[in-house]
Amino acid sequence: MIEGVILIRDNIKGGALTETTFLVLLAFYKPNHGYGIMQFIERETNGRVVLGAGTLYGAINTLLKKKWIMPVGNENIKNKKEYIITDIGRKAAEEERKRIGEIWRLATKIIGGETV
Amino acid sequence: MTKVVLRYFFDFMEGQEKWLNRMAHKGYRLKRCGRMVYLFESCQPNEYEYAVEFVADKSYSKSKDYRQFLEDMGFRTFTKNINLNFSLGKVRWRPYARGMGQIATSPGGFNRELLILEKKRDGKPFQLHTDLDDLISSYRAFRNSYFWAVICLLGLFAATFVPGIFAYSSALWRYVAKILVGVLAASFIISTIKYSMIIGGLKKESRTNE
Repeated sequence: MIEGVILIRDNIKGGALTETTFLVLLAFYKPNHGYGIMQFIERETNGRVVLGAGTLYGAINTLLKKKWIMPVGNENIKNKKEYIITDIGRKAAEEERKRIGEIWRLATKIIGGETV
Repeated sequence: MTKVVLRYFFDFMEGQEKWLNRMAHKGYRLKRCGRMVYLFESCQPNEYEYAVEFVADKSYSKSKDYRQFLEDMGFRTFTKNINLNFSLGKVRWRPYARGMGQIATSPGGFNRELLILEKKRDGKPFQLHTDLDDLISSYRAFRNSYFWAVICLLGLFAATFVPGIFAYSSALWRYVAKILVGVLAASFIISTIKYSMIIGGLKKESRTNE
């Protein structure tokens, strides 16, 4: 019951990011483009997460709309579009880091494993 | 060696994708495609693989942007039509699309409802949509297009029963029209149900998984 309440409040506050969103956001701490992001995520998750191009396109557009990332350099150049994380984006990423940390500590306490 | 094939797909997503992959398996690589014509050139069997993506729910500028993105990701892309409509200077309403995608013009987004994507076969699956939310919304986009086709066809089917509307045509033609429209509507209803069931399954999964 209590978990249910926390879950609902969490969702209403818009707390949790999807894994795709969070990973893509992390990939933008350095200027990056579509293909670079896909490689970054595949490398950093040891191949566990391989984003489809359509999903990645959707994620980038969502982040742009939320102003969590912005274009870098000259947009008129017909080159691959590069983006970088904004201050709002950093804030969102930091909140998500804390949230995951909380869950990780709770899970470790109950399930056991590495000490916090 | 080039090969020209004349073909039209009612099963424009999966059917077309499977067929293109079968052709690639036999050693034919897509070079160009028209409304009903596919031009292939020889390649190593299984050198390439294909995916078909539905973009008719997007506005023309959005779908162009998406195509450019996919090109940058290293895919070769082709635009493909769903309809068989040979006209220029035309405006079409797509009730199933989002925002400006509802208006399709020719030249423009009309007859460019699909993207055919090609990549080198590298052992990894050719999956464009990898998270549940995104899968649901992509299935929803073409489920809705089938759904609106059903609505339009049912309207047409109903019209065949209205006395006076087809009065100028012969009784035989009215009978044939009824059957044609009915069969087409039934096939679209099946597709609508099929994709709705897929969406339902994914939604159930998305309650616990991402």
